[in-house]
Amino acid sequence: MQVSIKWLHDYIDFTETSDELADKLTMAGIPVENVVHAGEGLEKVVTGKVESIERHPDSDHMFITQMNVGQPELVQVVTGAQNVKQGDIVPVAMIGAKLPNGLKISKGKLRGVPSNGMLCSADELKMDLTTLTDEQKDGIYILPADTEIGIPAKDALGLDDDILEFELTANRGDCFSVFGLVREIAVLTGNTPKWPEIKVNEDDDVSTADMIKIGIEANDLCSRFSARVLKNVKVMESPEWMQVRLENAGIRAINNIVDVTNFVMVELGQPMHAYDYDQIAGKSLTARRAVAGENLHTLDDSSRTAKGEELVIADSEKPAGLAGIMGGLESEVTENTTTVVLEAAAFNGASIRRTARSCGLRSEASGRFERGVDETQTMRALDRAAQLLQDMGACTVTKGIVDVYPVEKQPVSVDFTPEQINKRLGTDIPAEKMVEILESLDFKCEADGKGGYHVAVPSWRNDVTFMEDISEEVARIYGFDNIQSTTPEGTMVQGVQSPLQDFIDHIKITLTHIGLSEELSFSFSNYDILDKMLVPADSPLRNAIPLMNPFVEEAQLVRTSLLASVIENAVRNLSRKNEDIRLYDVAPVFYPKSLPLTELPDEVVKVAGFMCGRRNPVGWNTGDDMIDFYDAKGVVEELLARRNITRYTVEAGEYTAMHPGKTALFKKGKDIIAAVGELHPQVAENFGITKKAYIFEMDVATLMKYSSAKFNFDVLPKYPAVFRDLAILVDKDVNASDIEKTIIGNGGKYFKRAVLFDLYTGKQIDAGKKSVAFTMLFQSNDKTLTDEEVDESFNKIVAAVEKKFDAELRK
Amino acid sequence: MESKIEQLRQEAAKAIKDVAGTLNDLNDIRVKYLGKKGELTSILRGMGQLSAEDRPRIGQIVNEARQQLEQLIAEKNQELKAKEMAKRLASEKIDVTLPGRPTNHGHIHPLTVTLMQIKNIFMRMGFSVEEGPEIEKDYYNFEALNLPKDHPARDMQDSFYITEDILMRSQTSPVQARTMEAHEPNSPIRMIAPGRVYRRDDYDATHSPMFTQIEGMVIDKNISFSDLKGTLEDFLRQIFNKDVKVRLRPSFFPFTEPSTEVDISCVMCKGQGCRVCKGTGWLEILGAGMIHPNVLKMSGYDPSKVSGFAFGMGVERITMLKYGIDDLRLFYDNDIRLLEQF
Repeated sequence: MQVSIKWLHDYIDFTETSDELADKLTMAGIPVENVVHAGEGLEKVVTGKVESIERHPDSDHMFITQMNVGQPELVQVVTGAQNVKQGDIVPVAMIGAKLPNGLKISKGKLRGVPSNGMLCSADELKMDLTTLTDEQKDGIYILPADTEIGIPAKDALGLDDDILEFELTANRGDCFSVFGLVREIAVLTGNTPKWPEIKVNEDDDVSTADMIKIGIEANDLCSRFSARVLKNVKVMESPEWMQVRLENAGIRAINNIVDVTNFVMVELGQPMHAYDYDQIAGKSLTARRAVAGENLHTLDDSSRTAKGEELVIADSEKPAGLAGIMGGLESEVTENTTTVVLEAAAFNGASIRRTARSCGLRSEASGRFERGVDETQTMRALDRAAQLLQDMGACTVTKGIVDVYPVEKQPVSVDFTPEQINKRLGTDIPAEKMVEILESLDFKCEADGKGGYHVAVPSWRNDVTFMEDISEEVARIYGFDNIQSTTPEGTMVQGVQSPLQDFIDHIKITLTHIGLSEELSFSFSNYDILDKMLVPADSPLRNAIPLMNPFVEEAQLVRTSLLASVIENAVRNLSRKNEDIRLYDVAPVFYPKSLPLTELPDEVVKVAGFMCGRRNPVGWNTGDDMIDFYDAKGVVEELLARRNITRYTVEAGEYTAMHPGKTALFKKGKDIIAAVGELHPQVAENFGITKKAYIFEMDVATLMKYSSAKFNFDVLPKYPAVFRDLAILVDKDVNASDIEKTIIGNGGKYFKRAVLFDLYTGKQIDAGKKSVAFTMLFQSNDKTLTDEEVDESFNKIVAAVEKKFDAELRK
Repeated sequence: MESKIEQLRQEAAKAIKDVAGTLNDLNDIRVKYLGKKGELTSILRGMGQLSAEDRPRIGQIVNEARQQLEQLIAEKNQELKAKEMAKRLASEKIDVTLPGRPTNHGHIHPLTVTLMQIKNIFMRMGFSVEEGPEIEKDYYNFEALNLPKDHPARDMQDSFYITEDILMRSQTSPVQARTMEAHEPNSPIRMIAPGRVYRRDDYDATHSPMFTQIEGMVIDKNISFSDLKGTLEDFLRQIFNKDVKVRLRPSFFPFTEPSTEVDISCVMCKGQGCRVCKGTGWLEILGAGMIHPNVLKMSGYDPSKVSGFAFGMGVERITMLKYGIDDLRLFYDNDIRLLEQF
């Protein structure tokens, strides 16, 4: 909705500037998005007539014009425009002009020929291009031939008016009209509206009811249908003033009949439609549901097949228009039209919204119906339209209005007490002040004798039905600024978050401490990504939820894998030459219980990570070591340790997108608590990753299940520790963890822990063997251990290891 | 005898003084004169041959000489040590302008940084942090919030639908209804609900198909619009700065009545008017209002007994304003060069 200040001034006086008015409206809940100061920058642009035009001698596309700008001397202007001819009247920017686009006009020469100004296009004058034809938009803007010469161009162009562009809220359908805005302005500025007298002279003897039958079949979708008939219609251009008003409201002028229906719609907020009477079969118009399969041929000359739910206005044979959205092509008013039926009706907003959306047709009319029109004023709108056309001498008006209004709308009444309002607002506004505010908005207040009021809500305010709505009316006019600030009283409660939220925050903090950075990724995915990740056809990860209306094809699914997200973000970084990547993500994936979805899916929060590149940041003293499998595994181990998850097993296994020979599964019983591995080389290739990368994934709920909340401090030992190193040769494919398990199992009561500190294959060692070295720690809480005690334990370990792994002790 | 002692003393003193080399050289001198077989020590040893009256006198002279020499040695020792230390220090000089060894550390995503700050502010005010599903029923996302099907306000948020009745939640507001349902009717609530929400918006500098919202709700007896105003002013001054100006504008949301948009004075230009605030000096920062009686009723609360306010804000917008980030897409690009700045 946009409207010009002059149109508002037609019905109310106010002294506020456009900006001040915009601010007042905005602060009262009628948001003005933008104030267009039309004509700004056009101070030195005048109308000029092309007296002569000749080709530029040194240019194949420029012309030299001699312009009459109402001064004694002609002004020479060089132009590149191709659409100007002798006798045209055009806008001329004179020396010193500074156009809205910032262009400054100064004296100059173009290819050696002096030029003292510039001929302007509509765009350069910042005219509203949406109301112009292509012809008017291209090249220099040609003014009507009767335009006065030498006057300010902004007067000639109707650009001497500021325009308020509203971004109205969905509840205030009443403000989608000049009258509605004037009512608000009256309250906000303290001025009295000057409503026009709406009066029609029914100067044709024929009775409207004899000419046209009106009916409503779909009572639920159409609550009122009123019509008038105009005879002896002369279809022509509407007067200049009306065209300018409409153009400043963003509506293109078409002809007097259409313009008047649009004018009344903007003025009163009641959409209207005009039919060519002679094209209406059976001389009847009925509001009914479309029959499925019926053809809907609309004004834009497109044919649609009705689904069967749409509300149409039909003559005796076929739909003559999509009610409230767009008229039919056959009954369009043309220059041959001599008799017109004017429609003013009230249609169901939800129905109009559905149809407008499904047809992709949103119009000024449909927007108003969606928000709800004031159905009490259909007859007034018809009278206003007839009056305007009659004033133009464009028609005669038949007797009476045909009005079908099955259930008359009853005025809404709301009760309130000033205490209720003050309690809700936290204010101390006197009752008289409330009544004054409400009365100013045409809410009639009647005291109930017990301190409260009955309020009659005006017919155009269909958004007000509760006491709470009344409180808003009082508050917005009283001024939100005038309401004090307090803090809530009442029961003090502890601010907490859930254990899961705490757990997730801790995971993030731990991973960040370990050196990984957090990413946030979209929850969308697609089948291509799953293919690239080599997800098998029967994998539950393929069971992803499809969206009905994805915004792009690549985001057609709701993700089932968080690994996919970290890989994608890593790929983006790699493509930007960010070579060293340590990323993690903590976010849900979505597993449907069944597809298509009949109940909400499981939302499972995962932790996923991606690591590649250098182990240490680039530096002169940090080495060139690259991240390997054990860096990634170390991250997982540390995270588990920080979350107090112990006594898990680690075994080789397989996992989505991981190298089958380089994947470790961390397990508690059958539950996998973490998987870490090298990115599968084929997956890497599919994603265009050329370096080795490592990934891990965990399930937050599973981690939480095994995370011991209880944490016991280990008493620091009072007696010294004794260290013993064990170096053995074993077969290459013996798992280090198995050796460690054997050590732990045979360590005896003084054994505390063993740390693998060396692993070697190569020279001096038989092929097929490896050297493994542990350092072991023995300690007692009660005494200093003797060598004999330690030796006994150590020897037992050695014996067990030798036996179990056929190990050879290295001395 | 005395002159011999004096001569030894002088000789030794000179030798000590002349030591130019190491502590070992000094030690040699100490041994030569004061060691077990040292020259001065020998004199003491030979005291037995002296007369009884000479003995104490000579003894005293020797002891004095000894003490003096020991002192000289100690001083020289100090001097040599200082020299050696100075030499060592000079030899150990390094280029301290070389960069330090970089440490490996990660970074929390800027949106999480803001989210944690917001959560902390509200938790200090006694708000609990609630959550709800991201794939949600139309009922909770819209209908329980007084937004029946075909309500024009549904246009404000074009949603991703999965079925007719299930969608990617377009706001965190459904957590309002879910939280009320989880409480005894009319029992007090103070909660915030942060989370991902989804809208079918274009992906551009200020829109994204997924973004982060924080919903808030307070319900109790006697909660008023002025409480809403005070609470949000307090929050905004904490998350931005204490001088920020707050402005409430009447607005419309189907789930609140009265409804308000909350603006803050532009944090970029301090309200003077700039590109970020489109010259107005104000920035729209959150939407709020007194909970609509229908919303309370639908979730089992009685609007005649309790009242409440609710609010919602975008974490991206707050983060962009706090750090001067001008393109929302940067948050979801996850370029490590951005992440490493936080």
